[in-house]
Amino acid sequence: MKKTSEIVIIGGGVIGTSTAYYLTKRGKEVVLFEKNDLASGASGACDQDIILQSKNPGIHLQLAMKSAEIYKTLEAELEHPIEYENTGGMILIETEEELEIMRDFVKRQQQVGLEVEILDLKQARELQPGLSRHLVGSTYSPQDAHVNSMELTLGFAKAARKQGARIMLHTEVVGIKQRNGRVQGVVTSRGDVDCEIVINCAGAWAPKIAEMIGLTIPIKPRRGQIIVTEEVAPYVMGDVLSARYIVAKYNPEILENSSDPGIKLGVGLSLSQTQKGNILIGATREFVGYNTDVTRTGLKEILKNATRLVPGLKGMNIIRMFAGLRPYTPDGLPIIGPVEGIEGFFVAAGHEGDGIALSPVTGKIVSDLIVDGKTFIDVSRLALERFAKNNKKA
Amino acid sequence: MAEKKPVYICRCQEVTREEIRKAIADGARTIKGVKNRTHATMGLCQGRTCRRLIEKMLAEATDIKELKPGTRPPVRTIKIEEVVKGDDA
Repeated sequence: MKKTSEIVIIGGGVIGTSTAYYLTKRGKEVVLFEKNDLASGASGACDQDIILQSKNPGIHLQLAMKSAEIYKTLEAELEHPIEYENTGGMILIETEEELEIMRDFVKRQQQVGLEVEILDLKQARELQPGLSRHLVGSTYSPQDAHVNSMELTLGFAKAARKQGARIMLHTEVVGIKQRNGRVQGVVTSRGDVDCEIVINCAGAWAPKIAEMIGLTIPIKPRRGQIIVTEEVAPYVMGDVLSARYIVAKYNPEILENSSDPGIKLGVGLSLSQTQKGNILIGATREFVGYNTDVTRTGLKEILKNATRLVPGLKGMNIIRMFAGLRPYTPDGLPIIGPVEGIEGFFVAAGHEGDGIALSPVTGKIVSDLIVDGKTFIDVSRLALERFAKNNKKA
Repeated sequence: MAEKKPVYICRCQEVTREEIRKAIADGARTIKGVKNRTHATMGLCQGRTCRRLIEKMLAEATDIKELKPGTRPPVRTIKIEEVVKGDDA
């Protein structure tokens, strides 16, 4: 193994491989270390949605819209089939109360240029068969899309390799060397590598990497269980979410205080169909440490919720179930950028369920910051230091 | 270097021996690694036939002595309606 590299990336998920791709595209020398395999964590245990309309208007939606723009030409750029498809998506609304919240959400999204509207139940049912008659309506955006997250990760890795990146699988980073507040290199299970920059792209495991240099990152693993049906004829229109999914995402405390087992597990509908025909039915949002087991309660609550909203699913067979660990942050935004006080140490992690959607833009931002010192928007709000500031106020 | 007559290892997803060899050459060291690269074991039977064949190929191609079990419930195909009714019935 070569003993030096300009940049070391830790993590072979969609964020690490995207970052490797964009940095080598800008001519940087990169080595990526992955302790297991490409997409062996959350990037290979998630759904396939690239949803714009679930994002809060502001920097979150801005990032998603930039990513969506990149996605349009990404397959050609990577020269790898990533199964990108601009399918459109909808968020199901169950109550008048949710409708009010979604009206406001949609209005603010429209103001920043997202194509999104509210549909009544009749219009919603024309778009998606099998919906329950108790629904009030839905939102609809033609801009939502799909991608195969595993192919995407493999595609980024393949393209990065072509541009000269060295990707070291089954190689664990066990230490980070620093001197006088500067990163010096990493210690791995296959020897040391000296470098100027280390980028922590370890997702839910990012806090463990940060600990190696005495840094605390407020990312927590949040388990998402997803169920897979047999291959069926085209049924799901695109990405179908429920408004409760949005609530689950931004208000975890409401969920934990509930006595309903489904709500407690953070169950919110997320429905989509793969190109082969399997329907992915999600998902839970649970804090259970690094446990990736699937559970009987999870299975039942996800399906109860899904069939309550889309009774048309009842006759289908399920064949598989899996769980992945989403890297949760307290404010729902990823952590992207250099870390104050440790020269050469960057973080690009904490995307929770948005890692796939935001992977192209994250890689681009990190490479811009390293090469140019700035990017297309002000990303200081994504810096790790925002949590330290909040702590002081409190 | 395509095999003259393709040998199908995973019949549900129509994955050949050659494709699995390629996945292992690309860095797959577990069933999940092969799955992510080829879709083998992801069909209707969920790897009942092919999983052991792939495990054998992995063992031959690598120095892995023992593979962690990679299977999780549900262990058989089940209708959504039956799960939802479940204990309440």
